[in-house]
Amino acid sequence: MNGWLWTATVLLAVGFGPVVWAVATGPVGRRVVAQNFGTSAVCLVMLLLAQGYQRPSYTDLALVLAVLGPVGTLVYARLLADDLSPHPPHTNLLTAAAALATTAVVVAVCAATGPGRAMVKLLVTGALLVAGNVIASRAVSGGYRNAEATSHG
Amino acid sequence: MADVLTVLALLLVAVAATAAVAVRDPARQALVLAVLGLALAVLFTVLQAPDVALSQLAVGSALTPLLILLSVRKVRRRGQREDGGR
Amino acid sequence: MSRRLRMWVLAVGGLGVAALLAAAALRLPGFGGDDHPYGERAVEASLARRTSNTIASVNFDQRAFDTLGEETILFAAVLGTVVLLRQTRDERQVRPAPERVAAPVRRYALVMLPVALLTGLYVIAHGQLSPGGGFQGGVVVATALHLLYIGADYRALERIRPVGLYEVGDAAGEAAYLILGVAGLVGGSAFLANTLLPYGTFNTLASGGTVPLLNAAVGMEVACAVVVLLARFLDQAVEIERSTGSGNDRGE
Repeated sequence: MNGWLWTATVLLAVGFGPVVWAVATGPVGRRVVAQNFGTSAVCLVMLLLAQGYQRPSYTDLALVLAVLGPVGTLVYARLLADDLSPHPPHTNLLTAAAALATTAVVVAVCAATGPGRAMVKLLVTGALLVAGNVIASRAVSGGYRNAEATSHG
Repeated sequence: MADVLTVLALLLVAVAATAAVAVRDPARQALVLAVLGLALAVLFTVLQAPDVALSQLAVGSALTPLLILLSVRKVRRRGQREDGGR
Repeated sequence: MSRRLRMWVLAVGGLGVAALLAAAALRLPGFGGDDHPYGERAVEASLARRTSNTIASVNFDQRAFDTLGEETILFAAVLGTVVLLRQTRDERQVRPAPERVAAPVRRYALVMLPVALLTGLYVIAHGQLSPGGGFQGGVVVATALHLLYIGADYRALERIRPVGLYEVGDAAGEAAYLILGVAGLVGGSAFLANTLLPYGTFNTLASGGTVPLLNAAVGMEVACAVVVLLARFLDQAVEIERSTGSGNDRGE
């Protein structure tokens, strides 16, 4: 096992382990936040695994997850709006942590890859992940206000 | 030591799958299911099956939650209407 | 059959399965060993046909008939859903009111729609080269379209989603796979045999013979099937209500 794989292991244990616990217990708001953070954690694990196994094509997994993961969180934010709106969770700290971790991992993997098309793909994945995480957090903490009140109309 | 990653991924899958069964409310279950999907994707990748992992991510991250939550909404709506009619 | 006898039959069957499973597990090769008889043959065959993603070669070349079955399962499942979730006589359609969505979320959805669409098409087109293919890419494409429901509302989605057209696309994708199979037969070898097209250059988009074409057929089928499937679920969840009273409202 090389350094990339060890980093992936640590990130999986420290970043994703608590997500599994947080999504299984507590109020709905916290569970949605955990799911959103889990997307970021696993996406970064995928990038690290691709680098660790020396398989550049594995970054497609991270790309697809960076596109679809936040969409999944938006689905929850939309359809569970009436459960979320009484106590919207505040996620600024967690969102900042995810953005910081994403930047660190993407920069490290980019440095190891070197310039080229592969690096562009990594940067796009990172940018999509950060943007998706920020927007999904925003949606969870009140992006669909009064959605339930009008949808029965 | 090379199996640490495999063991950790297996452990996370086992815990998430048990939680998905133990949680009873379908809407919350959908959330646990999404995280179980992420854990499975990591396990498949660690076992060098990226095609399967990609299928899991494509279906599990947005499609399955949407199908489950739409069904939940339909059932709840019907319940509300019938309560209101009485 | 009495309850007791049934339990005995169940117990005998369960024990048999358990015994066979244990016997099979004892003969399994060790975890992560070096000896992979099937894997080596599959890799050799996929290299001979210049398909760099061995999984795609197995799915769409060496065992393409298997994939036809899988594709047909999805086709039949969606057909069943369409029949089950149709609007029945005692149900009526109501117009959903527009949703209020925060501006950043709406903008994100509108920007991500083409990005996700492109990602899906990329995954379909590179099925023979990297992880992915028709199924995975098709699901991504279908999910991308539903960003309109998530970022705006159901009416916006309905405007770009004539369900009838997607039903035709679903059938056309399924038919295209069959036609490619028959073309192999007509071309002189066997059903779904990869002998029709030149194998191309290894690790380029035009490689693998019919593998990319079969991937495209599956991608079309899956994308359209998922759109039709979600359309039925959305109709039921958002629009269709059980009508109270006369049942003589708008709907059929």
